[in-house]
Amino acid sequence: MRSSVATFLQQVINGLSLGSVYALIAVGYSLVYSILLFSNFAHGGFLVIGGYICYVALKTMGLNIWMASLLSLVGAGIAAVLTERIAYKPIRERTNVTLYLLIASMGMSIVIENIFVIVAGGRFRALPPVIPTHPVQIFNIATTSAFDLLSFVVALVALGCLQLFLSRTKWGLAIRAAACDLRTAGLMGVNVNLLIAIVFFTAGALAAIGGIFLSVRYTLYPQLGVITIKAFVAAVIGGLGSLPGAVVGSLILGLAEMLAAGFISSQMRDLVVFSLLVITLLIKPTGLFGKQMSEKI
Amino acid sequence: MKRGKRWRGAICFLIVSLLIGVLGVTSALAQEKPVKIGYLAALTGDWAAYGQTEEKSARLAVDELNAKGGVLGRQIELIVYDFRTRAEDAVNAVRRMIEEDKVVAIVGANGSGINIATAPLVNRYGVSQIGTVSTNPLVTVDEKGKVRPFSFRICFTDPYQGKLIAYFAAKELQRMNAAILYDVGNDYSHGLREFFMKSYGEYGGKVVADLGFRGGQDVDFRAQLTEIRDKKADVLILPNMGKEMALIMKQARELGMDDIIFVGGDGYGEFMWEIAGDAMENSYWINHVAPEDPAMQPFFQAYKEKWNDECKEFVNGVLGYDSIYWLVDAIGRAGSDDPKAIRDALASTTNLKLHHATITVDPENNTPKDKDGVVLVAKDGKGQFYKKIKP
Amino acid sequence: MSGYTEGIITLLCINAIAAMGVSLLTGFTGIFTLGHAAYMALGAYTSAILTVQYGIHWLPAVLLGGGVAVIVAYGIGVPTLRLMGDYFAIASIGLGEAIRLILENWQSLTRGARGYPGIEPYTTLPVALSFFVIMGLCMFNLINSHYGRSFKACRDDYMAASLLGFHTARLRVLSLVISAFYCGVAGALLAGFLSFIQPIMFDMLKSTELTAVVVFGGLGSMVGTLVGTLIITLVTELFRPISQYRMLIYGAVLVIIMVLRPEGIMGGLDGRWLAKKVFRRKDHGGTA
Repeated sequence: MRSSVATFLQQVINGLSLGSVYALIAVGYSLVYSILLFSNFAHGGFLVIGGYICYVALKTMGLNIWMASLLSLVGAGIAAVLTERIAYKPIRERTNVTLYLLIASMGMSIVIENIFVIVAGGRFRALPPVIPTHPVQIFNIATTSAFDLLSFVVALVALGCLQLFLSRTKWGLAIRAAACDLRTAGLMGVNVNLLIAIVFFTAGALAAIGGIFLSVRYTLYPQLGVITIKAFVAAVIGGLGSLPGAVVGSLILGLAEMLAAGFISSQMRDLVVFSLLVITLLIKPTGLFGKQMSEKI
Repeated sequence: MKRGKRWRGAICFLIVSLLIGVLGVTSALAQEKPVKIGYLAALTGDWAAYGQTEEKSARLAVDELNAKGGVLGRQIELIVYDFRTRAEDAVNAVRRMIEEDKVVAIVGANGSGINIATAPLVNRYGVSQIGTVSTNPLVTVDEKGKVRPFSFRICFTDPYQGKLIAYFAAKELQRMNAAILYDVGNDYSHGLREFFMKSYGEYGGKVVADLGFRGGQDVDFRAQLTEIRDKKADVLILPNMGKEMALIMKQARELGMDDIIFVGGDGYGEFMWEIAGDAMENSYWINHVAPEDPAMQPFFQAYKEKWNDECKEFVNGVLGYDSIYWLVDAIGRAGSDDPKAIRDALASTTNLKLHHATITVDPENNTPKDKDGVVLVAKDGKGQFYKKIKP
Repeated sequence: MSGYTEGIITLLCINAIAAMGVSLLTGFTGIFTLGHAAYMALGAYTSAILTVQYGIHWLPAVLLGGGVAVIVAYGIGVPTLRLMGDYFAIASIGLGEAIRLILENWQSLTRGARGYPGIEPYTTLPVALSFFVIMGLCMFNLINSHYGRSFKACRDDYMAASLLGFHTARLRVLSLVISAFYCGVAGALLAGFLSFIQPIMFDMLKSTELTAVVVFGGLGSMVGTLVGTLIITLVTELFRPISQYRMLIYGAVLVIIMVLRPEGIMGGLDGRWLAKKVFRRKDHGGTA
């Protein structure tokens, strides 16, 4: 049936655009995991920080969207580095127990969210409509909004830049080395602390891009960061620590969510997400692209 | 190391006894003279816009009444608790209000689900609760149809509202293919949807899509809207609260759905314009109060002077304000601050002239009888009066 | 004693029971979980539905609540026990949320996201205290028994323990199942205390709170777990009126504890060494 195909295509487009936003968040997540081997649950906080900086820059400072975004990326990046310095570095230096880092990251995520609740108030804010949202037709079958196309393109560009950074620059090489083995990289002369700071800055900046898009699309509020749990699932499905995996996982997740919402029921959406997580872990815990390493005796 | 261990234990003990001490002191500070009224408002969370307006209106009412001498010769004290748009917090707050603060009655909340959750509690404790905009029947009447003696409301109910919406969509707008997008986590939404569907069918309309979302969690409705678009619905019924409706309307227009008309209930709030912008133009909202009502202008004026702010969520403002007036009148009629006497006075309210309406309470369901429904149309950035209807 | 103080002590007992269960699994058997609030949810809803809809007396209802949690833990939790370290924790997040979402979606049974009101308030102070004392005694007995030592063996060196002849797989299952029972009973008691439950009350935040309390009190110390519960519950309840500051303080406390004293209150030298052995950073590992 013609309309069925159209509906399907529409849901696919919806899914891809959602997935591209997830990808921005999941990649930052995976980047941190690949170096420090822990899930930074405070990642959602960087997203919210990015969103609020952009809002303030647009509304009260009256900057244009490019300046506001730049400010937001830098701000979130700095916040990420600060988080690392305050909460993770002291723990990281005393012990290599990742459980402590994890709980500390949960704590930081709660702290960041509630700082915004207190300072900005629990009310949600709408960003000024600086990003176009008018509908766009695709091959006359499906409709999407200019916004979705834009977010998809921006995500591609950002991830492309990241890929260039990792493969073509000296620090990119250092990061890839550290992802293999942090200690050895340190022994080979890499300044580990500076490396970690760069990684967190990058993760924060990526999260900020995601935050800007999410707040324009869905309004800005302190709990916006909870979407990070879905990005986390995407990263696991793609394989923790693998950046291409994070992207693929995100797209799969976005598609799965939209198709489930469209063809089964919208309430089942999150259930599908977490079921995918459990299934992935039961079948292939290291995900699609994760490295398979067995426990050494 | 041994000395360290001993110190640690001592410090722990000290912290614990300090905390218990604070507990004891706060519970001792209970003896006071004013008449205490509790207010349950959503000051944070998704309903913050409604809750903050209610708090301000309630305080305005209390100040006005205190200036005229209060009630029973005593001043009125308003004790406000923020339930953060979470039922769990509301239940906790109500418990605290009754046990710790010893309020004589409670006003709020604005949400049906909240008051359904607190109903068993207030009825067990025997303290009256007046819902401001809690329209679901189950708030004041239990599943078996028996009235909950201590649960009241000042607004009309959803069977009535659902019928109004159905009447408006079918008879006034003449749109006979409706889609519904409702919040599965909200009693108000559930109830309104149910009553709408029943009445709409009676008027000859057909529901072509009946879809749900999770309020407070879902922000992306494109999946559901895609289906609604493909089923060729010509009117979209939105029996929800503000924020999600705004997002739904915006996303619908983004998907190219230009012809569909949006009709909703009393979950309308002026703050929705910020989010939905032009997508909201020419949407219709069945409501309790019209902002241009001349009887309410003194209130809006006083609100503006006191709070230096427009009363944007005017429904909540008006109903919160009049709820306080109703309650204080009941306390006066009861002649005492005994919660049971106050309850009896509330239930026997007859022809009480409040600011927005004159109410007579039906003791079968603790709800005012025969209130008008007001239709608002969203135009030029504001909700404007369209017409008054009775089905 | 005012009703309010009674309420706090009751809540303390409830939280302590759940924390003891998680402590057994995390501190004593070395399995780190972030999804145990789901077992509380199962216990709560079972007990709520049985008492409200079927009129069953609360005592069997509460115990059945624990029972349902056990069944689910055995059925779904056990396959995930194959996963080691971080991966089990991630799976526990997934399971925790999935169970909560199933409860949320099963509207005909649980009224879904709107919550389940009107539960008979059967959890009075004597009831809560009795459960706490009895279950507490059982737990202390357990960890000091032969089983307790076996759990600790699994935690300290899984490989060595299994080579030495401990039925490590079976022991991990037993530990998971017992912890689920404790959380289930705690959940059922919570339902009888609040008279109202909602799936959102048992989300990841609650699960994290359970684990954080155990770490806060000190891994491997049941007394530490109780002390941790006491402090966290008191701070949470007393600061409820200024709730956004409360959450801020709670988050800050988590961070501060991890930075300054990760071994927890009762941890001492033992705790630190313990945590290092159990939760040492592994390579990108898979299943055992």
